[in-house]
Amino acid sequence: MKWLAASALIVATGTAVATPAWSGTEAIPGVENAARARQNWMLSCQGCHRADATGTPQTTPTMAGFVARFLQVPGGREYLVQVPGVATAALSDADLAEVVNWSLVRFDAANVPADFRPYTAAEVGRLRLKPLRAEAMTMRAGMVARMAQDDKGNKNRGGF
Amino acid sequence: MSGLDKFSEKVTRRVARATSRRSLLTLIGGALTGAAVIPVLPVSRAQAQGHGHGGGDPIAPQPTGNPQDPGDQTQCDYWRYCAIDGFLCSCCGGTASSCPPGTEMSPITWIGTCQNPADNRAYIISYNDCCGKSSCGRCLCNRNERDRPMVRPQANNDINWCLGTESAIYNCSTAVILGVALDQQ
Repeated sequence: MKWLAASALIVATGTAVATPAWSGTEAIPGVENAARARQNWMLSCQGCHRADATGTPQTTPTMAGFVARFLQVPGGREYLVQVPGVATAALSDADLAEVVNWSLVRFDAANVPADFRPYTAAEVGRLRLKPLRAEAMTMRAGMVARMAQDDKGNKNRGGF
Repeated sequence: MSGLDKFSEKVTRRVARATSRRSLLTLIGGALTGAAVIPVLPVSRAQAQGHGHGGGDPIAPQPTGNPQDPGDQTQCDYWRYCAIDGFLCSCCGGTASSCPPGTEMSPITWIGTCQNPADNRAYIISYNDCCGKSSCGRCLCNRNERDRPMVRPQANNDINWCLGTESAIYNCSTAVILGVALDQQ
């Protein structure tokens, strides 16, 4: 019966992770070619963020289970493209939009808001013209603080 | 002692009478030229060729035995090393995809593609450095296909990629296959 329990667990985990914005079977919104997105992730992102996007505490903050939370705070949508590693990646606007859309769902589907509009090449092209530099860290700290505040508010109201 | 003095004086004077300063110069010149010729001798060349990696013991070839993965992993021209810059772990007690004992593989790497001559397809290769012991010093290779300047650090192989490891001391480099790249569209 062990195998039954194991497979039930796998199914349960799969559904739990993938329920909110994306069910896991349909195509990822804003991703025309998932294999290409994954390859661009490997060639341009994974070297620092690691294959599972967990990152390294000293150098690369974790994306797994967290990155889509930026979409829930003001300025976060812009930040995700203007952050230096994304804005300056050696990818075309279309490929960059695709890999960002892909990584949001691949690494943090649970936090993608239900009303999330996928990034388009045009939006990415416009945003990456103004990449963040040294201010990226302060900006990130501000948004992370805002997330913590929101969490507290939700808890008080009995949400989450 | 005077007997010894007289004897050596006699010998010295005889040598001085029988030879010229020019002959001494000839002797020194001959010795210099002779020394310069030694590395050209076949014996010396045979030793240096051993496995052609400079100092140290010669390293035995390490073919994979897999026709899909041709070449010798201790040579710079092995296909996976197309953008490597550093000492080959294959020559340092590790392999092309694992670290020598006592070192830690860096989780942060630079990633590129190399063409496999067996099937002419591009493979995604991760150049993970091994860290925690001083430089291995064997099999230095510096191939820079698709290497980018320092302003694009994620694609630059001159950086010490010992990041995220306990120690930032570089030992050697591996070339791990991550997957097959998509065909060019």
